[in-house]
Amino acid sequence: MKILTTVKKVVDVELNIHVKDGAIVEDGLQYVINAWDENGVETAVQLKEDSGAETTLVSIGGGDNTDVIRRCYAMGIESGMHIDDPALEKADAFIYARVLQKVFEAGDYDLVITGKQAQDTDNGQTGIILAEYLGLPCVSNVIGIEVLDDKHLKVSRSGDAGTEIVALELPAVVTVDVSINEPRLPQMRGLMMAKKKAIEKMDLTALGTSADEIGCAAPKSEIVAFMATEKRSGGRKFEGDAAEITARVVDLLANEAKVL
Amino acid sequence: MNPIAMSLLLTVALGVFGRTMARKIQLLRALAPADRTNHLKQRLANMFVFAIGQKRLIGRARERSSGIMHALIFWGFCVLLIRSLTLYGQGFYEGFQLPWLGGGHLAGYLYLAVKDVMEGIVLLMVLYAVFRRAVLKPRRLHNTFEAYLVLALIGILMVSDLLLDGARYNLVHLYHNAKTIPFFNHPRYGSEFLWTPVAVGASALISGLGASANAAILATMFWLHICTQLVFLNILPLGKHFHVITALPNVFLKSLGYPHEKAQLLDLEDEAAWEDESLGVNHIHQLNWKQGLDLYTCTECGRCKEVCPTYTTDKPLNLYEFNDKLKHALLANADNIIRRSGLAAARARCGDDEQAAGLAEQMSALNSEKQLIGDIIAADTLWACTTCRACEEVCPVTIEHVPRIIAMRQGQTLMAEAYPKELNPALKGLERNGNPWGIGYDKRADWADGLGVQTMAADADVDYLFWVGCAGSFDDRAKKVSRSLVKILQRAGVRFAILGVEEKCTGDFARRVGNEMLFQMAAQENIATLNRYKVKKIITACPHCLNTLRHEYPQMGGNYEVIHHSEFIAQLVKTGRIELQPSLAGALAYHDPCYLGRYNEIFEQPRSILASVCQDAPRELPRHGRESFCCGAGGGRMWMEETIGKRINLERAEEIAGQNVAHVAVACPFCLTMIEDGMKELEKEELIKTRDIAELVAESMA
Ligand code: SF4
Ligand code: SF4
Repeated sequence: MKILTTVKKVVDVELNIHVKDGAIVEDGLQYVINAWDENGVETAVQLKEDSGAETTLVSIGGGDNTDVIRRCYAMGIESGMHIDDPALEKADAFIYARVLQKVFEAGDYDLVITGKQAQDTDNGQTGIILAEYLGLPCVSNVIGIEVLDDKHLKVSRSGDAGTEIVALELPAVVTVDVSINEPRLPQMRGLMMAKKKAIEKMDLTALGTSADEIGCAAPKSEIVAFMATEKRSGGRKFEGDAAEITARVVDLLANEAKVL
Repeated sequence: MNPIAMSLLLTVALGVFGRTMARKIQLLRALAPADRTNHLKQRLANMFVFAIGQKRLIGRARERSSGIMHALIFWGFCVLLIRSLTLYGQGFYEGFQLPWLGGGHLAGYLYLAVKDVMEGIVLLMVLYAVFRRAVLKPRRLHNTFEAYLVLALIGILMVSDLLLDGARYNLVHLYHNAKTIPFFNHPRYGSEFLWTPVAVGASALISGLGASANAAILATMFWLHICTQLVFLNILPLGKHFHVITALPNVFLKSLGYPHEKAQLLDLEDEAAWEDESLGVNHIHQLNWKQGLDLYTCTECGRCKEVCPTYTTDKPLNLYEFNDKLKHALLANADNIIRRSGLAAARARCGDDEQAAGLAEQMSALNSEKQLIGDIIAADTLWACTTCRACEEVCPVTIEHVPRIIAMRQGQTLMAEAYPKELNPALKGLERNGNPWGIGYDKRADWADGLGVQTMAADADVDYLFWVGCAGSFDDRAKKVSRSLVKILQRAGVRFAILGVEEKCTGDFARRVGNEMLFQMAAQENIATLNRYKVKKIITACPHCLNTLRHEYPQMGGNYEVIHHSEFIAQLVKTGRIELQPSLAGALAYHDPCYLGRYNEIFEQPRSILASVCQDAPRELPRHGRESFCCGAGGGRMWMEETIGKRINLERAEEIAGQNVAHVAVACPFCLTMIEDGMKELEKEELIKTRDIAELVAESMA
């Protein structure tokens, strides 16, 4: 089984994101592997360890993705490619999916694993659109994969009514949820090995396509501006006699907040 | 006198003994290196205090009676050694005496008197020891045949020597053989028997048997004594009584400057080390020779396990067994270990790559088939340790358990990548955001909002850096301590700053769980930052930060004067820079944090501070000071679940609650969390408030 896993480099959402003039302030930000993709990588590596799958990884855009891809190598991914092109600057889910389609077609894969969404945009579309483009079956929100044979998987997904078990024929696309596994933490040995491994870097031409074919010029969606979420200021504390406080709070609600 | 018999006996006994010892030493030499040859004076001092002075035996209130018993047997034995040499001499030459100890010198008489009384005392102590083992049965002790055998041999040594002297007395004074039996008789000091009341008492037991029987007893006791001693000597190296021989050198060679051997700064870039799997300890031959000597020396007294927070709360870490299993693994693999070290030396010498590879292969074939972690020591055992050092602090022969445990964790984490996966979130948080909580690094200084605290980045011209630590920066409870400390520093007019978002976890917990990579990464970054600001003096409220900054950063080129807030505040109070009102009502007890007390010897300062904020004198907990009981958070345990046995913090909270106090003071953010959680579990958090000393001081400032 040949697996293609996708990985997106995203901003660390543990950080405060500051917005200035409709754009994110890059200063002080740091970038990490999208958490859901990390689960996807772990899934692929487990399939490699348990069922002898071959694992390839692709990451699109993001400038220097070396650290992200090396981390995945250190987790156990065998080969990786990074596709970047100035034309991809404004890429949306459709464009990502088109690029992935090209990668898929060039590589004769049996299974695509993507994280079910990316931490930065929270769109959750790319994997599903890719399946549509490829005309392949897709299971989203996957929380477990069992290999039945070369061509068949038993996949469980978290659905509205509980866990759903789906029989899936390969080739197919799955998008995984964080609850599928605990991604391993790359250790020194893996990280050292990863440094020596090559990363295949390609632009759209090298991938055998072009900005036109992908549709880079006309993304279906576009981010116009970012806005900072409003900061909640701390509440007010009242101390003293219960009756007095009640009167004061009622007064404030009526006259200051004007909600009564 | 029988020179032939004596020569024969000595040759055989010393020959066998020499062979055994040579083998034991050879095994130690085959282990990994350790440098213990510096600071001779201090080493000798340690030997006098701990080994000869028996400090940890008689110094512990909880164990005083058995401690005194052991010390008396030991000292008695030392005294008797001189007598034994005399007896060996007499085997060759009748009437032999050591120089200055003969009948012509007062010293000879004095020695006889001391020896005589000591023999009586040792005999009594042996009886007490048997009674204690057989009847009192202290929980920590393991009753073995060996223990009784050795007590019996000691008893025989005493009895035989006393009867020997008793028979001489009878022959000289009762049967008038003064001419043929040599004895001391000096015009000034009189007959030697005036000086030996115990032997004279023993003589009464055999006085009625007649002259020839007494002569026979004399001869028999002489040879019995000699033979027993030689048998004893040869039994020693075979079991736990090896400590009789190794305890002195073991104490002499103990770690200096820091309570135990510091975790090794591993060269993680060394590819050969990765190939040889020689980072950390994953095989028994990777222990260093001092650790081997530790194993030889363990007396199996069980003091360590008795004070261990994991053993007392029913976890699988039982240090007695831990040592015992390692010792057996060491001895069982002795041949291979010795052969292996020969091959290693050959490989180091050989210039030919192919030959070296062949040697390496032969070496790995000599590895023990049993996995050190898994087959010999269970993983749960290895990871249970909180690195609290309670065990080391009570060990009478100064055995160092924690460095071994950390080295094994290094081996597991680095080489086998086998460590509790529940640590991953904390390790990942450290890696990404420089704190085990994994909270964005940019929020590190949020606790100080509105306090007017300056950062080094804004102005580094200050006297002190306040090192806040991760807990003080991110944990809501500990943030209050940081704020209190700021209030104190500001009130005292101290010129200080923080690093703010430039501060990272010191890496303490990563190192304790064997993740040397993350420790070194964190340390490197921090040291670069500290050195960039030319920081000289650091104040911190976290004993873990204190310990790492003070003792471990120098390994990587970071040298600072690191001061715990308790030391600093005590100084502020003493110099009158802050004034405290003894206003706190209700009884208060102080819980000694392990990394403050046992690791850094800071016991007094927190107590003196507390004494000046409390209306009544602070109380001591049953387990306090050097023998304080861990809160359960050290050694990376803060970031692991505690699923086996009783929770350590609960055990401690119960101990505190049993003292009827209204407050418990701590001086560590992790103790704060653990003990407060314990109180919550007991539903006593309202009755017994857990507070850091900084909070109490800030509230008591006049
Ligand atoms: S390690 Fe020390 S305290 Fe523990 S059993 Fe051995 S001698 Fe006793
Ligand atoms: S350091 Fe503490 S927890 Fe670890 S073995 Fe010693 S006493 Fe037990």
